[in-house]
Amino acid sequence: MLPRLAALIAGLGLTSLAQAAATHYPLTVDNCGMPQTFAHAPERAVTIGQAGTEMLYALGLGDKLAGTSLWFNNVLPEYKALNDKVERLADNDPSFEAVVGKRPQLVAVQFEWMVGAQGVVGTREQFDELKIPTYLLPSDCEGKDNLVGADGTRLQAFQVESIYKSVHQLAEIFDVQDRGAALNADLKGRLDSAKAHLAGKDLSNTSALFWFSSADLDIDPYVAGRQGVADFMLRTLGVRNVVESTEEWPTVGWETLAKANPTWLIIARMDRRRFPADDYQKKLEFLRNDPVTRNMDAVKNDRIIVLDADAMQAGIRLFRGLQTLSTAFASGKAAQ
Amino acid sequence: MSRLLPYSALALAALCVALVAGTAIGESNLAPNVVYQVLANHLWQAGYPVDPIDAGIVWNYRLTRTLVAAACGAGLATCGVILQALLRNPLAEPYLLGLSAGASTGAVLVGLLGLGSVALSMSGGAFIGALAAFALVLVLARAAGPSSNNAQVILAGIAGSQLFTALTAFLITKSATAEQARGILFWLLGNLSGVRWPSVWLALPVALFGLVVCLWHRRALDAFTFGADSAASLGIPVRRTQLLLISCAALVTAVMVSIVGAIGFVGLVIPHALRLLLGPGHSRLLPASALGGALFLISADILSRTLIPGQVIPVGVVTALIGAPVFALILVSRRGRP
Repeated sequence: MLPRLAALIAGLGLTSLAQAAATHYPLTVDNCGMPQTFAHAPERAVTIGQAGTEMLYALGLGDKLAGTSLWFNNVLPEYKALNDKVERLADNDPSFEAVVGKRPQLVAVQFEWMVGAQGVVGTREQFDELKIPTYLLPSDCEGKDNLVGADGTRLQAFQVESIYKSVHQLAEIFDVQDRGAALNADLKGRLDSAKAHLAGKDLSNTSALFWFSSADLDIDPYVAGRQGVADFMLRTLGVRNVVESTEEWPTVGWETLAKANPTWLIIARMDRRRFPADDYQKKLEFLRNDPVTRNMDAVKNDRIIVLDADAMQAGIRLFRGLQTLSTAFASGKAAQ
Repeated sequence: MSRLLPYSALALAALCVALVAGTAIGESNLAPNVVYQVLANHLWQAGYPVDPIDAGIVWNYRLTRTLVAAACGAGLATCGVILQALLRNPLAEPYLLGLSAGASTGAVLVGLLGLGSVALSMSGGAFIGALAAFALVLVLARAAGPSSNNAQVILAGIAGSQLFTALTAFLITKSATAEQARGILFWLLGNLSGVRWPSVWLALPVALFGLVVCLWHRRALDAFTFGADSAASLGIPVRRTQLLLISCAALVTAVMVSIVGAIGFVGLVIPHALRLLLGPGHSRLLPASALGGALFLISADILSRTLIPGQVIPVGVVTALIGAPVFALILVSRRGRP
């Protein structure tokens, strides 16, 4: 209750501060090294990637969306009614023409590999030729080289400021700066409350492991490396990630992971059913039955946290994930 | 016969040393006495107090993957010997018959259709895919002409491989994201990390079965080295023997591919290297290749676990990294020989 109240107060405070600001067009936004110019607030936008989609919903811009694509999970329940009215161009990456066909005045993109130099959908230059501005979420381009490694390689650790920046810039583009300020205040409030929850707790010997999925159940799992979003969550809460690789989602053997013996295991819940291990129940079953992992401290003491996969991505859900983790870390018991 | 004994003893000793090395060396540092205590606990109930995680790592992770590496290495090398003899082609290897391509398609299908959560694992899909590809290649080869014509089998194999490779590429482009393709690729490059005891009980008997069947036909294989006509003139039922041995090779390979993915170069390089050392006689070449394949794959697996600390390289990458230069060396050293 208290943290919510704090967030509300913080939100109100910032809202009143930001009230005065209105966007002056034409507006030029420097976005991932490509300046984009807007003559007026976009009336029709298309999103590629769930993070951007939900960010626009959170900014109250659902009625400006003409199409969405690249979904990982169901939309957040509070946006379901809104989302049902928007056409879903594709579950995965949409084709260039499907996007352009909506005559969008903005394409908001979550991942650079969708529209970067080797873009799956098309390159930003292609969109530019058709006078369609693209907005790439800064979290996927700042401090990250997307031409190296399967999921790109972060040159610097993920910065949460990049999310605030995208909220701020999207709000500026759509001339709803007060909503942007309020949303950012809410997100910051959640982060602060997650931290405050653990104040006074000694977590110096606490470690954790993020298990996303595995190509086959017994095989080396995809786990969170250093510098990514998942690692940022642990760092924020003062918990050590047992994986030291700087790749975003490296595969590491169970032998190494079991020997590292983390205090907490955090396993991803997702709607995707591509690999058996996508199902968090299967993950739990494996952890409790494998002759090695069932002896890990976290498994024996039931310190396994089930966390939405989207909370491990650079989007607004990350902040709820932080709160889930901090509640579990604080109580010493797993929250599911 | 008296010369056989010391060689067999030496071979057995080498295999034991390799198995112990594969169990003792791994991603994490376990003291040799811990490894010994775990093995002693399981083998003769020595009852040492050991950390359960260490015990699980040694007995359930390392020993199983080392045993499966040995079985796969032996199986693939044996298959390589058979195919090189039957088809009289130096480039013949277990995957020539479209098996690895078929396995990829099967695994990708399972991964993409989401069958994974229902009934079939990627391994099961790979096994079915491999056998389907092999059946197609057999039908193609038979339709193309008399089975004594080696070129037809090889060409049918290439056609089958290309078809299934294209199918895999089509499926991935159509419906997989980059991250999904990576998962499948990782699996296909050959990986021993998912191996547990059930895989051991599948791989070991299959490898032994393949070796015994081939040893049984060693005289026939010797004859085939001089061509199907000379084999026929020696009274060997050419068609039947050929079909039996090729099917045996396909079955062994399909099982191995479905357990560990497509590990390349073992089936190609090991038989060549040992033929150079021991000559073409199959009574010696077959057991030697099986042993060589086992030792090679165990070593490759140890390297794959230790080259990058904290991370495992797919063993198929390691075998190709070692296998390619070794193969090049063999080619160069064969220069000037008949």
